Amino acid sequence: MRSNNVTYLIKKGVSSVWKNFIMSFASFSILLVSLLQVSVTVLLILNVNIIMSNIEDTNQVAVFVEDSESESEEQHQKKVEHIREALTNNEDLTDVNYISKEDAAKKWSQAMSGPSADLINMVPGGNPMPETFTVRVKNIENIRATVAAVQNIEGVEQVNAPYDFANSLVNIKKTFSLIVFAMLAVLIIVSIVVVSNTIRTSVFARRNEISIMKYVGATNGFIKLPFFVEGCFVGILAGAASWGLTWFIYNSVYSLFTENVTAWQMLGFSNLIPFENLRLPLLLANCVVGAMLGAAGTVISMNRYLKV
Amino acid sequence: MVDMKNVNVHYSSGVDALVDVNLHINDGEFVFIVGESGAGKSTLMKLMMRELTPSSGRVFVNGRNLGTLKGNKIAMFRRSIGVVFQEFRLIQDYTVYENVAFALRVADSSNKTIRQRVPYVLNLVDLGPKAKHKVRDLSGGEQQRVAIARALANDPGLLIVDEPTGNLDPKRSYELVGLLKEINRCGTTVVMITHEHNLVRYFGGRIINIDKGSITFDEMIGGSDYYEE
Repeated sequence: MRSNNVTYLIKKGVSSVWKNFIMSFASFSILLVSLLQVSVTVLLILNVNIIMSNIEDTNQVAVFVEDSESESEEQHQKKVEHIREALTNNEDLTDVNYISKEDAAKKWSQAMSGPSADLINMVPGGNPMPETFTVRVKNIENIRATVAAVQNIEGVEQVNAPYDFANSLVNIKKTFSLIVFAMLAVLIIVSIVVVSNTIRTSVFARRNEISIMKYVGATNGFIKLPFFVEGCFVGILAGAASWGLTWFIYNSVYSLFTENVTAWQMLGFSNLIPFENLRLPLLLANCVVGAMLGAAGTVISMNRYLKV
Repeated sequence: MVDMKNVNVHYSSGVDALVDVNLHINDGEFVFIVGESGAGKSTLMKLMMRELTPSSGRVFVNGRNLGTLKGNKIAMFRRSIGVVFQEFRLIQDYTVYENVAFALRVADSSNKTIRQRVPYVLNLVDLGPKAKHKVRDLSGGEQQRVAIARALANDPGLLIVDEPTGNLDPKRSYELVGLLKEINRCGTTVVMITHEHNLVRYFGGRIINIDKGSITFDEMIGGSDYYEE
């Protein structure tokens, strides 16, 4: 096709948006609502994942060092160093901290109040607190395997891990992912159905124009191009508008969680993603998905009127 | 130009629209196809413009077997013929100029060709001064002439005209057929479908009568000077 005719068809497509304003506005509105729902859901997923990660990061595993009376001080130090090295080299672990018997006793005393604080000094045989390493498991889903590996390090007496916490968190994450993906799938399917039905009404109103084009010898591509451009254009406009609305809604919610910090922070809400970090990718995604939905809806709706 | 061999058209409703039709139209002829409503005239036209394929038999236009055309080849074929419909089938939102130019754009003509060809065909149908008018603002007769201009835009070898006078008063009808005769004199084959026998008698020429899907009459008759309102 000659470039002058391609330019002509693109111009026709854009001008049709204003010419068929009411139908274009209907398509625009439906696309806007659909894209808004998808954007908000995606932001929800991203933030819930961040919150989950924050909660996940609070897991702490205590590794108790074997306390043998028969070994010398030097041998004991070597054992502690061996455990430290094994923990540090384990790629599934992070934040390795050593707590000596003295530090542990001090912490215990600080945690107690009043006369109970001195109880630790009254234990026969001296300080009963164990030497400990605290570590964090990077991937909580693998906590059992990781802890088993730690348990096998020579010189480790016992490992205390928050299995219940890990199980609950993994279950919550799985359930949430399932619900969210089901929601997204339903949203996208409903959007496509509603959008293509709205556009079908618009195309139906112009079926006469389409049949005339066929009678004078227009190819399907020639007929589809302006409609395709029109669908894309309406989709991009709806995408941009949806992005603007998402920005407004998200910032309102963001301020609510970040300005009144105390209660929400405790629940892990302090690290919500600022909209600025997602501004461009979200704008691009909205416009691209909008254009695709608009164009696909138009072209699918047209096919039945091209059989002349 | 047009060749139909043992053509039958059977609709799914059970109607036999055409029964064993054999027809040959030579280049440069002017042919009236007449018959009562429901006789099969429109089916014949649909076959010639490849809107329909026969249930059996073969249809050739410009040497092309229309039954074998598929997809974009149908579009290419339609660019080589001109069709004028009774109900005009113009894009009402477009201007007169745009409607005619559209047929040229469809045929992928350059802007230069469009700029030259559109005023030429509009002057041919005496609509040059109305080029910028919206089609919806024109009278029935004027719209019919826009439809003829559009059909002529790509300089077709065959012009098929379906009941062109159906929406016109008698005087405009005679003028319009006069115009089609002029176009025919320039070398374009014209097939005009009509049920107005007065017009046919007045202009004369090759007359094909269809009745109940069959050709019952195919003769040359002379015209008359009798102008019947």
